[in-house]
Amino acid sequence: MSESPLRRALPSILSVLSALLLCFVAAALTLQSVGQAAEAFVAMVWGAFGDWPRFIETGVVAALTRPLGEAGTKAALLTLTGLSVAVAFRVGLFNIGAQGQLMVGAISAAVVGTRLSLPAPLHVTVCLLAAAMGGGLYALLPAVLKLRRGVHEVISTIMLNWVAVSLVENWLVVGPLKATASGDNSISGTAQIQGTAELPRLLGDLSRLNLGFLLAVAAALSTAFFLQRTTRGFEWRAVGLQPEAARTAGIAVGRRVTEAMLVSGALAGLAGAVLVMGTEFKYPATIASPYGFDGIAIALIGQGHPLGVLATALVFGGLRAGGTRMQLFGVHKSFPELIQGVALLLVAARLMWQRLLTRRAAR
Amino acid sequence: MISLRHISKRFGPALVLDDVSLDVRPGERLGLVGENGAGKSSLMNVLYGLYQPDRGEVAFDGQVVKLATPQAALARGVGMVHQHFTLVPNLSVAENVALGSEPTRRGLFDLEAAVALVNATSQKLGFQLDPRARVDSLTVGSQQKVEIVKALKGGATTLILDEPTAVLTPQEVDELYAVTRALSQAGCAVVLITHKLGEVLAFATRIAVMRRGQKVAEVDPASTTPAQLAELMVGEQPPPSSAQSAPLEPGAVVLSLDQVAAAGLKPVTFSVRAGEILGIAGIDGNGQRELAEVLTGLRPHTLGRLSFEGAPQPHLTPAHARALGIGHIPEDRLRRALVGDLSVEENVALGRQTQAPFAKGPFIDFAGRRRRAVAVLGLNDVRPAEPTVRAAGLSGGNQQKLVVGRELDARPTLLVVVQPTRGLDISAVAAVRQRLKAEAARGCAVVLISLDLDEVTALSDRVLVMYQSALNGQFPRPPFDARELGRHMLGAVRV
Repeated sequence: MSESPLRRALPSILSVLSALLLCFVAAALTLQSVGQAAEAFVAMVWGAFGDWPRFIETGVVAALTRPLGEAGTKAALLTLTGLSVAVAFRVGLFNIGAQGQLMVGAISAAVVGTRLSLPAPLHVTVCLLAAAMGGGLYALLPAVLKLRRGVHEVISTIMLNWVAVSLVENWLVVGPLKATASGDNSISGTAQIQGTAELPRLLGDLSRLNLGFLLAVAAALSTAFFLQRTTRGFEWRAVGLQPEAARTAGIAVGRRVTEAMLVSGALAGLAGAVLVMGTEFKYPATIASPYGFDGIAIALIGQGHPLGVLATALVFGGLRAGGTRMQLFGVHKSFPELIQGVALLLVAARLMWQRLLTRRAAR
Repeated sequence: MISLRHISKRFGPALVLDDVSLDVRPGERLGLVGENGAGKSSLMNVLYGLYQPDRGEVAFDGQVVKLATPQAALARGVGMVHQHFTLVPNLSVAENVALGSEPTRRGLFDLEAAVALVNATSQKLGFQLDPRARVDSLTVGSQQKVEIVKALKGGATTLILDEPTAVLTPQEVDELYAVTRALSQAGCAVVLITHKLGEVLAFATRIAVMRRGQKVAEVDPASTTPAQLAELMVGEQPPPSSAQSAPLEPGAVVLSLDQVAAAGLKPVTFSVRAGEILGIAGIDGNGQRELAEVLTGLRPHTLGRLSFEGAPQPHLTPAHARALGIGHIPEDRLRRALVGDLSVEENVALGRQTQAPFAKGPFIDFAGRRRRAVAVLGLNDVRPAEPTVRAAGLSGGNQQKLVVGRELDARPTLLVVVQPTRGLDISAVAAVRQRLKAEAARGCAVVLISLDLDEVTALSDRVLVMYQSALNGQFPRPPFDARELGRHMLGAVRV
């Protein structure tokens, strides 16, 4: 507890840096060219954090805002799903179901966004609430199953992911909620949400960055505040660290777990809403990116701390956005996911870092 | 003869062994006494190959040997019985004894050979042990016999016993000492690590006293009194811990149970009055834990009537119990009483986290919590008196002082205390007992559940015995006859 935040974050920072290095070596080996690998990495960095050389050369602001906007958009989704997993971690639950909760949230937002007609700020709010409620209620199922029947949440959330796929993508999106074809064009996914339900863009035409980014940052800050500064957050942490002691201290463990799962599901549901209302403007035929599962990696690399989650999501959101540009240099666009995976492995090898760090401290 | 020469060992900043030299001679019974953290277990862990000394050497019959692992020590004939048993509960006696050096036949585990080994060893020791019984079906005393058989199976010539009598009944203690005495007469060296001065004086042929990592004295038990020994250990005269208090003036009935039963607890009837310490004696696993859980709301009672200050409490929950003023000092410090990964001050708040001075509305009152935590740490002499360190980082004694301090800070009407001094050193034991006595004097009703019979008899105003999940005998006033209590605890006398 008395450890400084930087020192706590050090294993994660070192893991991410080593992952970058390892993946660079892998890229250089497979491309059989260090130079090409370096160019690909540089392209990724510009794609992630703004193309500064081009901006300086041409003065085009969009050279900065486009990549940063893409990074921010991806980071928003990763932050929300990462928070979802992290919040469940804090009460001792491993919520693998963020993906399913995200789908339920996304379809809720899509339905409310299409079917209701409301003035813009209100419509956006109602859509977000609907998505949070959808995701939250969907996460309530594993919580109730665990408390009432002792079903392990890892099992139930994995199974509920598949239930969500079947329910949402194999039925609702191709069945009752399918968009009606206009003209000769066959459309996949649900109908477009109304303009009033779209998340406003923050920088107009300069980038796709939308309100979802601020929402994610606010979610991270308020989760951190809640966990560290409120008595209820204290109870959550006690439950997660030592449920027996929490019960002995008179904390209603089951109730705290249920609350946390509701919030966890709501955060994943919000991620679904941000996806639908910020970038897709409908529920697409399938949600191609497994943001829910990425959330597990983000939460682990962020060490379950909301601000750690936010920082991790910003880094990997950026790398994801930059990954598309690596294709020009013969590197597959999923390369940043490889980096994320390696970083996760290294974080999981926590003992290794601890040993290295304590040995250094001892010297 | 084994010689430990100039052994030093450092853990981080703490020097746990400071240039200690000690001989262990064949056939002797060496008592090793000292407070918790004095270094006696560390010294024996060096001899047992668990710790590598930073300086110094171990010599067997003059020949210097490097003991890198317990296996190396075992090969030299050193066996150790640890304070906390290292048995696998759902394996049989024979399997446990064989564990680590399993006899094999054609590559497969040879159970028959293991059974034969147990039979041979226990016959030599005069133990009655069924090699095929599951360890979790045995009493604590029998489990200890399994540990001894395990330690001696390879023909050990040196046996180290770390706090062996902490959980035994007086009868079992006598038996243990008879067996080890016979062992030493057969030429085996026995090292006894203990806090219990009376026992070590009666048992040992030589006593080494350790204090703060150093060997401060070697004494002859025949010419030493318990007071002298205690003085050597602590470095000063210990405070009188068991001075009899003035005859009790019974207060109002705080808690009464009328045929209260629960899962694992047969119907019990008794009551506790304000200002009284009611001791509950019994051998481990005779329903004491269940009783404590019923009294603190952790285990719902299924039958009978439980009343607190005259009001029936049909559905007591832990939160409800706390609100009524029932304090709880549980047995398991790091599982039940504290959250090890939270800071000391957060643990002080635990249980009262939503009340002043720990909270302001829905928010944590950091300043108020800090002030109260510092006060609790100071009043109870918790060291280090540093509110931000992790609770798990405190030593066992300081963790317990923290728990006791927190529970008493809430000024309970009833205090349910389970094994309050287990594993603590003399001064911590005295401090905790003093606090309990003072609390009773203030008017708190105290239910003291302990496996340590000395503790029950030293502190209680009245003692109930539990046997097979029910009450088996009541002893209304001190002095208590330990042997008679033991007979009730063992079920030799049924009430």
